[in-house]
Amino acid sequence: MKILKSELLIAKHLRQSVFKNSALYFISFFIGILLLYATFSGWQNYRTQNETSEKYQHESREDWLKNPDKNPHRMAHYGNFAFRKSTPLSVFEFGMEPFFGNAIFLEAHKQNTANFSEAGFSNSMLRFGEISIAMVLQVLLPLLIFFIGFNSIAYERENGTLKILLTQGINWKQLLFGKIFGIASVIMLLFIPTIIVLVLVWLFLQDFTITADETVKMILFILFHLAYLLFFCVIAVLISAVSKTSKKALITLIGIWLLFTIILPRTTQAIGAYIYEAPSKIQFNSDIEKDILKQGDSHNPNDPHYKAIKDSLLRAYKVDSVQKLPFNYSGFIMTEGEKISSRIYNEHLAELLQIYKKQNSFSKTVSFLNPYIAIKNLSMGLSNTDYESYVDFQKQAEDYRYKMAQKMNALQIKYISNTKSDKPKIIGKEHWADVEDFHYEPKPIGTVLKNEIISIISIILWISMLFILIRIASKKLKAI
Amino acid sequence: MLSLLFKNFIRSKGTKIGLLFLLCIGFISLLIGKQFKDKQQNSIQETAVYQKEHIARNAAFHKDEIGLLLYYIKFSLVNNTLPINSLAIGQRDVNPSIQSVTIRSLEGQKYDSELNNQNNLLAGNIDFSFVLIYLFPLLIIAFSYNLISEEKESGTWKIVATQSQNTLKYILQLFYVRILSLIVLLTILLFSAVLFLNIPLDESFFLFYGLSILYILFWFAICFFFVSLQKHSNFNAVILLTIWLFLIIILPAAINAYVVNQYKVPEALELTIKQRNAYHEKWDTDKNETMEKFYKHYPQFRTYKLDEKAEFTWLWYYAMQQMGDDESAVLSRELESKLQQRNLASQRITQFIPTLHTQLQLNEIAHSDLGNQLLFLKETTKFHEKLRLHFYPKIFDNAPVDQQNWEKFKVETFRDSSENSLAKAFLPLVLFILLLIGFGWRNFNRKAI
Repeated sequence: MKILKSELLIAKHLRQSVFKNSALYFISFFIGILLLYATFSGWQNYRTQNETSEKYQHESREDWLKNPDKNPHRMAHYGNFAFRKSTPLSVFEFGMEPFFGNAIFLEAHKQNTANFSEAGFSNSMLRFGEISIAMVLQVLLPLLIFFIGFNSIAYERENGTLKILLTQGINWKQLLFGKIFGIASVIMLLFIPTIIVLVLVWLFLQDFTITADETVKMILFILFHLAYLLFFCVIAVLISAVSKTSKKALITLIGIWLLFTIILPRTTQAIGAYIYEAPSKIQFNSDIEKDILKQGDSHNPNDPHYKAIKDSLLRAYKVDSVQKLPFNYSGFIMTEGEKISSRIYNEHLAELLQIYKKQNSFSKTVSFLNPYIAIKNLSMGLSNTDYESYVDFQKQAEDYRYKMAQKMNALQIKYISNTKSDKPKIIGKEHWADVEDFHYEPKPIGTVLKNEIISIISIILWISMLFILIRIASKKLKAI
Repeated sequence: MLSLLFKNFIRSKGTKIGLLFLLCIGFISLLIGKQFKDKQQNSIQETAVYQKEHIARNAAFHKDEIGLLLYYIKFSLVNNTLPINSLAIGQRDVNPSIQSVTIRSLEGQKYDSELNNQNNLLAGNIDFSFVLIYLFPLLIIAFSYNLISEEKESGTWKIVATQSQNTLKYILQLFYVRILSLIVLLTILLFSAVLFLNIPLDESFFLFYGLSILYILFWFAICFFFVSLQKHSNFNAVILLTIWLFLIIILPAAINAYVVNQYKVPEALELTIKQRNAYHEKWDTDKNETMEKFYKHYPQFRTYKLDEKAEFTWLWYYAMQQMGDDESAVLSRELESKLQQRNLASQRITQFIPTLHTQLQLNEIAHSDLGNQLLFLKETTKFHEKLRLHFYPKIFDNAPVDQQNWEKFKVETFRDSSENSLAKAFLPLVLFILLLIGFGWRNFNRKAI
């Protein structure tokens, strides 16, 4: 305890001098308002998003079940919708949500796009960013830390008080840690209340019945942000310590902040997108169509692929026409067609996603140079608002679509008469309930951590590097 | 004197680095704009080729039933991309610039989204408008936050003050040098863009140029005002950066959240369900009822009667498809008017926020704003209706497929003809500039420099 005493004294002193500055009260008050506003709008977004999604998902399900007796293939075209839902943590981190499509129409033969994103209905104002708790924590608080911290040592140097401090038996390490504690304690006055509100809102949103998975995500969300903020406290003090004047320290810190939060994120992503060019929609779709045609066209009676299937079926069942087969032939062909077209679509999609992944890998790698990108990726992953989550949502919707279409084809094969008859070719409505409703399951924590391993490693590396830097600095720094 | 001030300014290492950085990133933005433009152009060309092949192939396959053929074939409408769009990509990356539709229900096709990597959308484009709106102000602040204050802090100001007769004139000259160098930089960038991206030197280009200059002047006016307060350099740096933060991040985000919450669009999801149900349920309802509704919409087709004996006819099928649109028309109009309101509301508010105003105006000039997207959607509806009216009688008569002139159906282009108003674009910025300079002037005159 005795060693820590001087650190705490320095910290206390810094805190007192910060509180003497009336501008700080103003800024803190303002950030407080922003945080409240962010919580409120996050809450609103989350509620609207999930209420509308649930409402229409339910409506769509009811409509599906209400269908009268009919041909299963009609039902496959009737289809269902996948509406996107948010996870509780997305109240604090909006991530890419405004750019996500909110509804996918799921029908036979066709993979539809996810439509109705917020961005599609907005003008470019949205592109300036959004105010969320995560944004305040990740962008504004670091700047506040820099504004508080740029003076911490450089000013003492300018004033000549630094020499006095050092001659009084305090060493550099104590001084650096003391200043870091001081700034951190000021920031905690904003951070801790925010976290308390955050946890309460989060509990409330889930009616106090929380899952282990969500809890782990929440705890990690808090811990990583804490590490991130402390990290900026360290940078502020280190830069202040190596700068000759406080003005130089301020300008350097502002430069770092701009580079980390504004310039690098955009530039690195843009470079990735520039180097790995993605195909246009028309190209993507026509490539798929070409490949499907190559495999065979189920609508063409002379197509070799489908003719081969037909011939082998006729041989196996020892009949001379498809009408005499013991099951519904066109249902069988459609099953085959759906299988082929889905496989081809998925192959092309995998290729496209691979290109996107390469585009993103650029900025992911840069998280080693930029802790902001690391924390941003991590918090988006935890709150299920990152790119991977969206891909995951689309994938789950596609799986559902495929199963639904094939289930309807199976019903057709089994129940629909194969011969030409006057009887309407329909089956009973009780079969509709055989297809379950679409239910989206967010990624579990394990997958999130695996996806974001680069960000985690980079944050750990950053923390250890700063410790090393403090050690080096405390040996090499001079008072003048 | 002026040339000395200029030499002094340009000699500083920081100035050189700053200008060079801006120039480099400016050129990068042109490259990115070029890539975007090329991609758009390729898409349009591909669409033209694709549509031709696609129609020919399907016409060969389904040569006996024009009703079935038109179930499959898609016709494309392109939203014309101006060359200047490469400078302000706006919402063109989010929204598709090509709509491909069949003559079936439109509401289920109209809102199909573009293929996108959401990471790119979130990060945003580095187009010229980004460089202008985000980065130019930073350099302006860096060049001017310490004017006078630094000389005062280092003690050289007294020498300057005693040596020049008119200190205000001296300050203005300092600003003049900085304004000039940034406007030269802007001009170099924009005219390189003209050459590189084949932008015509027309009215919209000069509007774009004028707006950019005013925007730069606006930021200098802010700096002028804060220099006039004669505070410490550190104070200036902090306050100017905070203002930047406000105008670039916080206010836009707050206003966007306000507009989005004020004009929510639950109609969108409702619409998508409605159009599906309206069409599909017709399979199980009375055919004559459906037909009656169809005849009411298109009395000219009343002469086509339903064949009572046939279980399925294309007349009935397209009447059902038509119901998908007809019965969701109210919702569709509501959605459209909501989006229209969103657009108007944001335009009204942004007049008071110069950064947002400039961005929206640049996008408007480049036809990459929400207004353009709404017009394009409207045009898509017209395009679709035109196709329907052309093909309906052919389908109902079961006209022979090979006697249609399919070559005629080329990709069509929509050209947004909305005019940009000079006053609307310039006035808000001019007013802000005058106001700031006026107050700054008063401060200088009140307090001895």
